[in-house]
Amino acid sequence: MSSAGAVLAGAGRGTSDDVGPWYAAPIVLKFAAGLVLLSLWEAGVRSLAPAYVARPSGIATVFFRVLSDSQFLAAARATLGAVVGGLLLSIVFGTVVGLAMGRIANVERGLRYYINSLFATPMVAILPLLSLWFGYSGDTRLATVVFAAFFSVAVNTCDGARAVPVEYLEVARSFRARGLRTLFDVVLPSSLPYLLAGVRLAAGRSLVAAVVAEFFVSIPGLGYYILFNSRTFKHNEAFVAVVILVAVGVGFDAFVNWVTRRYLPWARRSG
Amino acid sequence: MKSRENLSEYLAIAASLAIGAVAWEVSGRMASGAFWAPLSATLKNLWDVARDGVLLRQCLSSFQLYVTGLLIAIAVGAPLGLVLARVAWLRTALDPYIMMLYATPMVALVPFILSIMGFGFAPKVLVVFLFAVFPVLYNTVEGARSVKPELVEVARAFRSNEWQLWRDVMIPYTLPFTMTGIRQAIARGLVGMVVAEFFLSPSGLGQMIMMGSQNFDTAGMLSAILMIIVVGVGLMDLGRHLENRFAAWRGESR
Repeated sequence: MSSAGAVLAGAGRGTSDDVGPWYAAPIVLKFAAGLVLLSLWEAGVRSLAPAYVARPSGIATVFFRVLSDSQFLAAARATLGAVVGGLLLSIVFGTVVGLAMGRIANVERGLRYYINSLFATPMVAILPLLSLWFGYSGDTRLATVVFAAFFSVAVNTCDGARAVPVEYLEVARSFRARGLRTLFDVVLPSSLPYLLAGVRLAAGRSLVAAVVAEFFVSIPGLGYYILFNSRTFKHNEAFVAVVILVAVGVGFDAFVNWVTRRYLPWARRSG
Repeated sequence: MKSRENLSEYLAIAASLAIGAVAWEVSGRMASGAFWAPLSATLKNLWDVARDGVLLRQCLSSFQLYVTGLLIAIAVGAPLGLVLARVAWLRTALDPYIMMLYATPMVALVPFILSIMGFGFAPKVLVVFLFAVFPVLYNTVEGARSVKPELVEVARAFRSNEWQLWRDVMIPYTLPFTMTGIRQAIARGLVGMVVAEFFLSPSGLGQMIMMGSQNFDTAGMLSAILMIIVVGVGLMDLGRHLENRFAAWRGESR
């Protein structure tokens, strides 16, 4: 939503003195572009690809049938439950580890190489190992989500805790605030924008992680739903699951943006 | 004073790495071989595969896939983003769709690619490309949106023609943002590479991990994972370096 707002503002600034014709209004342009993209997709698939390949009209016809299918709903619940649960675990532990690393030099020195290198590791590579440890069950999916999300929260929170302005800490000290008070009233709020940036990154990564884990260990969920239906050439049905995943990804992004603007007005960091 | 600070920092880091190595070794010896292998066995395995040339061959195969996909992604994403930088109405029109595709978990498309394109090199490159292209495009457009209208007006006032406007304003202004996109693409492309090597035709480092896990050769699997971690860290540093080099161009301290 924020980017749409920015575009509107940008377009308004550029063309404010000459109000264009009705078809140049941003909302009309966006809608028209959507129609053009969908019809390009439709026409391309109809003329070039085999009949089973997903196309907009096919997806539209099966969309509501799939959405009311109890099997599909169970799959969506399983995947999204694992993503939310894994994210919450990662946020709690990632914040604790990140704050400790940001404020205590020896913790940072001790963990720096482990956290940073595991942050840079594609979590897919570790999936076979996780499936050995947690078996072919939902636990592997949860572990993959946590592994994908934890490090981005920790790394970003650590950056945030280190970027707390010295003046804030000095004021806190001159008011004789205790360590814990300083942590909760100064350090944590001041690093919240960084934490939220980490959570946004983590959310995207954890969706990928949940889907990949389902491909790998074949447990019911949206990823497995896609895999199963595309193997049996029901691409339209499979694509409904992709639509849901995209909606969740975009929706969560918009939600975090909204929270940042609404409740953290001191956050000047956009990304 | 400063050097003593540094010394204690190095000592703490060295101690943490040593503790990690010992913990790996000890836990490897205590745990069942099916779950975890000691550091010494992992390093020995790495040495073995390095000596008989398997490691080099698989790394080259991964590298070829990764670089092909990444370069195509940059070659498509950056120019397209620049065009959108100049053509404001097209940018307004496409903006929400680019953002949507940027947020799409591309891995969900892998089964479609498998069933339409089958096995081979091209579908794998497509996977790496899809993982990498949208960060480049999204960030370039993001940069394009922030080109100040004043800059274009000044260039116009000095009678810049279209080519000069691109060379002196649009490209220099947008490049740092593109670099941020390329840094993200470097990381995402690596994920795409491993995904492609796992789920499409097995090859490269991904195949080494898979074979290790299927043959219960835990040390073999760990040595391939270790290799990917090293590559991942190296690529992340490279990406940061690229981004920082061009960051000064933004004319703001970010």
